[in-house]
Amino acid sequence: MYKILPKADLPRLIEKWMEQATVYAPVRQGDFTKFEPLSDPAQADLYYAANTRYPPKSLFLPQSEVMFRVKGSEFEPTGDEVSSRVVLGIHACDTRALQLLDGVFVDRDYQDPYWARKREQTTLVVLGCANPCETCFCTSVGSGPFDKRGADVMLIDLGNEYVADVRSEKGQVLFDHLPDASQEQIDASRQVQAAAAAKMKKPFETEGLKDKLYNLFESGFWATIQQSCLGCGVCTFLCPTCYCFDIVDEVQRNERVRNWDTCMFRIYSQEASGHNPRPTNTERTRQRIMHKYAYFVDLFNEIGCTGCGRCVRYCPVNLDIRQIIRSAQAWEES
Amino acid sequence: MNSLTLAIRQEAARLLEEKIVDVVIGFEAGTLPLKAQPAFITRKEEAEKLVFNGFCQNNLAAYLTRFPKEKRLGIICRGCESRAVRALVIEHQHDRDKLYLIGVPCTGIIDWRKIERRVGENTLQAREEGDEVIVTTRDGEHRFRRADVLHDSCARCLHPNPVGADIVLGDPLPEGDPERAWAPVLEFEALPPEERYAYFVQETGRCIRCYACREACPMCYCTECFVDHTAPRWTESMITPGGTQAWHIVRAFHQAGRCVSCGACERACPMDIKMTYLVDKLSYDMMQQYGFEVGASDEKQPPFAAFTLDDRNRFVR
Amino acid sequence: MNHNPYKPIPMRIARTVVETDDQSLKSFELVFERDADREAFFSRYRPGQFCQLSIFGKGEAPFGVASAAWEGDFVRFTINKIGVFTRAIHSMKVGDPIGLRGPLGNWYPIENWKGANIVIIGGGYAFTTLFALTQHLLDPAIRPQYGNLTVIYGAREPGLFLYKKELQTWYERKDINLYQAIDCPADGWCYFVGYVPNVTKEIAPSAENAVAFVCGPPVMIKFTLPVLYELGFPAERIYTSMEKRMKCGIGKCGRCNIGPKYICKDGPIFTFAQLQELPPDL
Repeated sequence: MYKILPKADLPRLIEKWMEQATVYAPVRQGDFTKFEPLSDPAQADLYYAANTRYPPKSLFLPQSEVMFRVKGSEFEPTGDEVSSRVVLGIHACDTRALQLLDGVFVDRDYQDPYWARKREQTTLVVLGCANPCETCFCTSVGSGPFDKRGADVMLIDLGNEYVADVRSEKGQVLFDHLPDASQEQIDASRQVQAAAAAKMKKPFETEGLKDKLYNLFESGFWATIQQSCLGCGVCTFLCPTCYCFDIVDEVQRNERVRNWDTCMFRIYSQEASGHNPRPTNTERTRQRIMHKYAYFVDLFNEIGCTGCGRCVRYCPVNLDIRQIIRSAQAWEES
Repeated sequence: MNSLTLAIRQEAARLLEEKIVDVVIGFEAGTLPLKAQPAFITRKEEAEKLVFNGFCQNNLAAYLTRFPKEKRLGIICRGCESRAVRALVIEHQHDRDKLYLIGVPCTGIIDWRKIERRVGENTLQAREEGDEVIVTTRDGEHRFRRADVLHDSCARCLHPNPVGADIVLGDPLPEGDPERAWAPVLEFEALPPEERYAYFVQETGRCIRCYACREACPMCYCTECFVDHTAPRWTESMITPGGTQAWHIVRAFHQAGRCVSCGACERACPMDIKMTYLVDKLSYDMMQQYGFEVGASDEKQPPFAAFTLDDRNRFVR
Repeated sequence: MNHNPYKPIPMRIARTVVETDDQSLKSFELVFERDADREAFFSRYRPGQFCQLSIFGKGEAPFGVASAAWEGDFVRFTINKIGVFTRAIHSMKVGDPIGLRGPLGNWYPIENWKGANIVIIGGGYAFTTLFALTQHLLDPAIRPQYGNLTVIYGAREPGLFLYKKELQTWYERKDINLYQAIDCPADGWCYFVGYVPNVTKEIAPSAENAVAFVCGPPVMIKFTLPVLYELGFPAERIYTSMEKRMKCGIGKCGRCNIGPKYICKDGPIFTFAQLQELPPDL
């Protein structure tokens, strides 16, 4: 179902949504954008050039989240208070990331109730990328700037209006009252999508990559590529698909919380005995890359990277995952 | 290619050929136009990869503590890097005779964020030409005066020339202007406490505790950082004020008399958090109170690490 | 809210036993505060599984269950005093409350080996879940379903064996062959002397229609495996239990993986054939 939304009408539409739900959209903060709950539709900044600096996974897996309030020996779970939400202007890569993470948090033997509740309560109004960035590589990892998987609605920018590709019941609730798009408009939206995909560079091929990485597991490759890595958490914290977390008791707050954690930190895998299965940056870098490009593929038949390019842009030493994958493909043991 | 790059390549090749060092730490071209990558050269043929320009934004001295002490390291050292190496040698992090410092007077690091703030986030090409930086984006060419796009720490750099280098490539540059260097400290200090605190709260409020600032800093090399200590835990684990503010304030204090004012912490921060203003104040105090400046001498301990029997404070007796 | 797998159920310490002479290992028998929790637990529990124990303020830590269901309405954990959590639990007393999540992970799949001879080889502190397995097999309702039961158990010195009282009762039974070994001769020791791999070689349990369960320090495993292979046990018929740092215990927090497998969820029990398929990430 295709609807048409003149851009001038968007603020009014957001306002309408705001009567029923909390609406999140990219909001400019200094030099960058971050998804924030809107108090005024004018705060939404859908025309930010790159992806939001802070990944919208935080709307579902907050960096610090209270899991339990502890009273005596009673653990009272939080999370029930989360009610209806609309996320507007999330890009295809970040939407795809949420869908990949559903595999971890929802679709397996144990459901993560915190994640599941937020996902259930949220409608994703995705904005397709008509102008992908230089650091974007979604088409290399099995996705694209208008990948509709996971979207309740996909907005396609035609200049003065959006064509809204409404893809779920949740999406219908938000867009039902709008006029249908004409065939001409739908065709125009297809052209926008094709043009965007054509602009994308393809920095590497993934054919045979998983096997190649497994073959490299014990090779000198990892020690070589990790040399410049500082071992900070930028790549993993900004990554839309990195989901590792730590569970910590905050005694003064009487809370059991979880915080983002990262395989790039030494203490992540440090055991109480002193043994660390990943004692150096070499093993940690290997874990990060292998998790996304080999283990995730084994588990879900999908690459655990959506090509958003955040790690490429913000790595303090310009250690570029595209270059790592290219080097892996080209690596020959000497 | 600039003449400095050529000279660095030649010197690196010589050091490896003559087996004076095991590895030369420098920079090579990055994958993004406004960035270079740290490079680790172990064979003389690879010296051709080395580059040197204003896009080399890391403090290479941060890698010194990542190598075993028996390794002989050649390090490209600008002013700040050479001062960091000096401080690290004083702190026994590497033997000076296992280091070969290739000194390079530095005209400052170009802040890619300042450029992208103006031209957007799709830089296709970038180069330096004299006092200009020329950037090509999807919508054409943009020219900047170098001075306008220098990283803040570089704009107020006091000592662009390397100290204690084994060789210096390039001509020495005039020293920085102390008045300009310390102006931000004095300005900040002059603000009412509420405003200073509000600024601190605002900046730390964005912190995601990725510790890029720590890892990029040549002087942060503790085997176990206080924030990673679990028994007892010194800070809240979360991105609450009890976590992020505690991190930034304690980190700053640990740098008193040790920070070389390179600004690598701010350049590494993915959230654009300002943090040098905290340590710059401590550096200023070190100067005023103790007449101490990091890197000025190759033997003087930082005041908070040294003690003397004639200290005017009673607690050391 | 849906079922919350992170929520600990309330337990109480009913009994503690100092296991080793050096006081470093203590067993804790925990009982359930609520009948429904007890029923739910025992309806799912199989030997080899582990639980996350939870002390608010000290966090959570995973421990293998060291008791069989028939032993009583308690769940036993034998814990080495080594880190923040374990020091805390060692200072707790009978009657103290403690949280538990579990049972978690897979188990020793003995249901697939009915009629087989069972060989259990353990070393040091790693005997806990093997003890649970042995106890389970000694259940009068279970024991007839299996063939010979051989247990080889090594420790550095006599005082470091766990479950000394129960081991004595095993010697008195005819349906289990227990072989205890210590590293070096000691006064009054009348059983085997030598490292587990050598003792295993000496005892030479037959591989015919047999399956082996092996847990111990890495060096013991490393040298015991070739002995078992030589005896004719293929890697598919040798099980072990793995350990790594864990937080969630349910395959979400990310840290306990070996390649694509999560020890907490896909394990902790693996055959060596399975482990050989995984990258060496230990």
